[in-house]
Amino acid sequence: MAEIEDNTVFQQDDHRAAYIFSAPSSEDQHHHAASSAARPTKRRRVSSKKDGSKSRQQTAAAAGEETAAARSAFTPLFNGAESPDAVRLRAESFETAWPVLDARIQHVLREANRNTLDEVTSFIGNAEAETTQIPAGIIITGPNIASQDLLFEQLADTLCKATQARFVRLRSAEAPNLKAALKKIIKDAGASGRDDDDDADDDDETGLSVGKDGRKYLNYDLETLHVALGANESPRVIVAFQDSEAFDSGLLTDLIALFHSWHDRIRFSVLFGIATSVQLFQARLLKSTARYLYGAQFDVVQAGSVLESVFKSAVAGSQAMVRLGPSLLRNLVERQQDQVAGIQVFISSLKYAYMCHFYANPLSMFLAADGHVDRQLLQPEHTQAVRTLGSFKAHVERAVEARQLNHAQSLLDDDSYLVDQILKQGQRRQDHVMRLLRSLHLITAMGILSTPFTDLYISALAEGIDLSSDMFAVVDPIKRLGPDGIISLIRRIVSAIETGSPELDLPGWESEADELMAALGEIRDEVETLVERTKDNRNPLKSKYGAQNKVLRTTVVAQKVQLSRDTATLTEEDNAFTKAIDSLADILSQHIHCDPAESLFLHEAWLYDSKSPYRDVFIPRPATTFGRALTRPHDYLGCACCGNAGGAVASTLPATAILYHLYLEAGALINVADLWSAYYASVGDESELGLDERTALVHFYQGLAELRMMGFVRQSKKKADHVAKLKWL
Amino acid sequence: MRNSLFQLPDELVLTALAQAFSCRSFQLRSLATLLHPDAAPCQNVVLYGTEATGKSAITAALLARLEASEDDRSPDGDSRLRFAIVNSVECITSRHLFESVVGKVAQALRWHGPSSSRCETVSQLTVELSKMLKYAPRPDGFRFVLVFDGIDRQREAPPTLLPALARLAEIIPCITSVFVVTSPPANFLHTAFAPHIHFPNYTKPEFVAIVTAGGPPPGAPALPNTTPEEAADLWARFAAAVHDALARAATRTLPAFRHACDALWPRFTAPVVAGTRGAREFSKLLIAARAHFQDESLLDPGIIVAARPPSAAPAPPTAIPGGSNSITPQASSKPHTSDLAALLPTTARLLLLAAYLASHNATRHDLVLFSTHHHGRRRRRGGLSVGVGRGAGPGRSKHRKIARKLLGAHAFVLERMLAIFAAVRGEWDGRYVSREGGGLVDGMDTDIGMAMATLASLRLLVRVGGGAGGDAMDRGGKWRVNVGWEMVRALGRSMGVEVEEWLIE
Repeated sequence: MAEIEDNTVFQQDDHRAAYIFSAPSSEDQHHHAASSAARPTKRRRVSSKKDGSKSRQQTAAAAGEETAAARSAFTPLFNGAESPDAVRLRAESFETAWPVLDARIQHVLREANRNTLDEVTSFIGNAEAETTQIPAGIIITGPNIASQDLLFEQLADTLCKATQARFVRLRSAEAPNLKAALKKIIKDAGASGRDDDDDADDDDETGLSVGKDGRKYLNYDLETLHVALGANESPRVIVAFQDSEAFDSGLLTDLIALFHSWHDRIRFSVLFGIATSVQLFQARLLKSTARYLYGAQFDVVQAGSVLESVFKSAVAGSQAMVRLGPSLLRNLVERQQDQVAGIQVFISSLKYAYMCHFYANPLSMFLAADGHVDRQLLQPEHTQAVRTLGSFKAHVERAVEARQLNHAQSLLDDDSYLVDQILKQGQRRQDHVMRLLRSLHLITAMGILSTPFTDLYISALAEGIDLSSDMFAVVDPIKRLGPDGIISLIRRIVSAIETGSPELDLPGWESEADELMAALGEIRDEVETLVERTKDNRNPLKSKYGAQNKVLRTTVVAQKVQLSRDTATLTEEDNAFTKAIDSLADILSQHIHCDPAESLFLHEAWLYDSKSPYRDVFIPRPATTFGRALTRPHDYLGCACCGNAGGAVASTLPATAILYHLYLEAGALINVADLWSAYYASVGDESELGLDERTALVHFYQGLAELRMMGFVRQSKKKADHVAKLKWL
Repeated sequence: MRNSLFQLPDELVLTALAQAFSCRSFQLRSLATLLHPDAAPCQNVVLYGTEATGKSAITAALLARLEASEDDRSPDGDSRLRFAIVNSVECITSRHLFESVVGKVAQALRWHGPSSSRCETVSQLTVELSKMLKYAPRPDGFRFVLVFDGIDRQREAPPTLLPALARLAEIIPCITSVFVVTSPPANFLHTAFAPHIHFPNYTKPEFVAIVTAGGPPPGAPALPNTTPEEAADLWARFAAAVHDALARAATRTLPAFRHACDALWPRFTAPVVAGTRGAREFSKLLIAARAHFQDESLLDPGIIVAARPPSAAPAPPTAIPGGSNSITPQASSKPHTSDLAALLPTTARLLLLAAYLASHNATRHDLVLFSTHHHGRRRRRGGLSVGVGRGAGPGRSKHRKIARKLLGAHAFVLERMLAIFAAVRGEWDGRYVSREGGGLVDGMDTDIGMAMATLASLRLLVRVGGGAGGDAMDRGGKWRVNVGWEMVRALGRSMGVEVEEWLIE
């Protein structure tokens, strides 16, 4: 039983932010040794227990097994007081929420490459007829190497299907020299064809390297490939260099010359994935080599637009269960622009946020599909937790201000009333998300703002949507529009309402927006009749907001120039038009409106806006962490002896920490003898610790070796008995 | 039949070949004499000449024809001439060369005897060849011609390779080895006399004759209002003009010349196609097309040749109206400048600039450039402009050295570059300051490590020194920047930084 407890302790420790190492005191060294010796046996016993439980579970229902699995992955929160059912519900919600998004993201990524794929395929297919050179597709992929994999995988699929060619993907790490590259080409190109005919796999080695007449080929001899492909009418091989920059340019030159030399027997095509620019790439090739290539350049969709579509479908889309909060989102998006972080990093950050939310937030349970959350599931801890929330406080305060004192009172006192309220929030959340997305969709459909969608969404989350705010300042541009502009604007809005947005997974909501549609239609009819009426006039229809109405008038009175602004006189129709525009603006600002997400009661259950675990996981700072740990080791060791030392040197600190303090004070070259005497002065006989010289020396050596291990010092060649300081920052 | 001791090969064969390879009939006849079993077969023949002078093509064609005519003479299969051609470009190692030789010889002889699996040295090669050529019964006067194409470019060739191959014929008398090389050093075979046949580059009349024989590019449409004779005449005069303009100075090989002709022809004849000029007005056409003749992109076409497929209807190159500065579909016209600034994110750009400064400034100037100690704001000294302005005195101009930025990049220690990065980051990246509250973040996070790794994998930063294979994050490691001044200046300007101000001569 003790071991089981031990086990749970370990599990809890695993998820703590800081791990406090309880240093074994000298008395229980033995005990520690015994426990460490016992550890392997314990592991074995745990596994045997698992087996036992498994055999028991075989008789149990499948649901039970699932529970066990869920329980093993998700720990009960509220200090372990959370019920297993609630834990399971959280786990299940995560497992249903993420795959939906993941599938959508993958779909978006694949679609984004489609254009490039088609272009490359048609080029490779047609180039053969046009030239005797080697067709070379040069694909500008951008510096993000991680996202190249998907592209080349898709290329392999499409090109194999379209051109009946063998496709070989080469990465620089796999092909350090000519022989290795050729071996890989021969192996992959030969193998991809052998899948079709059901030749036994066991003669893979011999089958390739022995020709028909019994001649053996070297494994880097392209003749092998020629013989292996000989059965085909016209063997085609496409070799893709995924990260062309990282290849040695001599190797590339050799390979291209070789391909050219073989071109009359094996029809080679090459693809280069290029991260920088064609010029740089070309500068690395010999001119005589470049002449063998018949190149065409292809661009992959820019990272920014891929980000935007992933963002639309996975973050903003109506299927996203958890909303990421504005500050985290801003951080993620900025990171995409500032750092070398590809879309893959964005996606895994997203997944990590989901995981964190469902794993660590007990209230995430409320996100489960309707009907799963009921009264039995809600524990007293849940209501207690809800009462501590900031949004609860704000909600109650608002209720008090609105003189709904009974409501506020019941929220505070009555658990079952609160549970009622909690259960209602699911619908509120969905309403809010719908309102947010519809408003955003309408704003983007107007086509007036040039702000990217990501920025719009983030500020809508943070500050809500209000057409009078700076971010969403569409009212003034609308007012300045002419009659044609107004009509087409109304048409755009109506069609946006009718069709919705497939990217955001937003269906049309025509049926729910009768009032808005009717009002829009009315205004449009009115403007159209006004236009009709003024068609014969010389003056076109205008409103009082139009730019041409403000006339700057100069008058010279007594040799002084006077500037005066005059508004042109408006006709009756113009006034009517102005009124129509005003009412349009009113209607729009009335309908396009959304509160900030954080003003909603219980938004903590579905809004995840915490930066800290994300930063620690995705942007670790080893240097800072090491530095801090060495400066203030007692924060981590939790020992009593050094607690009052603060940031200063104390003799009880570990040797490495003391040496690190001394190291910080030293110059570029450190005399080891000086270091030793300084160290000994702080821990030796005169100090409170009073180590003897031999023990101190052992600690000193150990500490210095550890500093070297961590990359702080290095042996110096400039001076004997000195070490060089390596880290300054 | 074989009554005479010396008999030249069949004249019919030679004439046909001489027509196919114009202007090479001397070399063709010499080679035929030296290879044919009835004429003056010899042990080693060396063919040399610059690239694209027809060495390999003529040898291959001649041998194929000679073998065919021998086959006709003795239809029972006892042909007296067989040959094998081994291209050294295709052989990765010398072992590969030897095994290819054995394989090709066996193929040429239709040899079905046992073959050994390995052939790693010249001696093993000799054994294998002897098995097939020396001890097997062969008809009278049998010759085997072994052509080593481009043998001077063989990879991993041992120094004894060429002399050893030249001595093959001493052991196996029926072998004739032909070495096709670019420019042989004197006595490179270490053997007594071997006949050399020189394939010189073509002269102007030869160039023109060859290109004229080829005719206008097949893709070009026929010229309107022009008889075939006129078109052919125009083509010949045009070829001579192209030779004078380009080939004499720069494009000295036949394929390059031919490419230049093909590329220029549509632009040259555009007025004829458009109907504004007749095919006989050569000088007027020449003047109209003068700009194209000065176009250097013809000489270095680059690798991007194909027009982009998505520009659906591939603009036919002939459809260019007579305007001289109209956009040409080939090369140089499209802005391929997908420059680094657009591709790299901010951090990576900053790192690259910091690396450039670290590579091109001396360490002793770092304090002057990056220290904020005295002035609060960094004192930076102007680079070139200020230096020239002050140092205009007569005494100092003598000491002027080459600007550091024109010299190659120096290696720097990673820690120094990161320190420079930390120093300039706050000043160059406005968003960084506002975001982090003006304070410099101590230490480097993983994002910077990732940017470093990306730059290294793009070969924009290169690890140098002995520890090149070591830990990339070793602060003591030495690196070097691998981009030029032009690119760095553009990169700096994309971020609003004049890199020149941060360089000290």
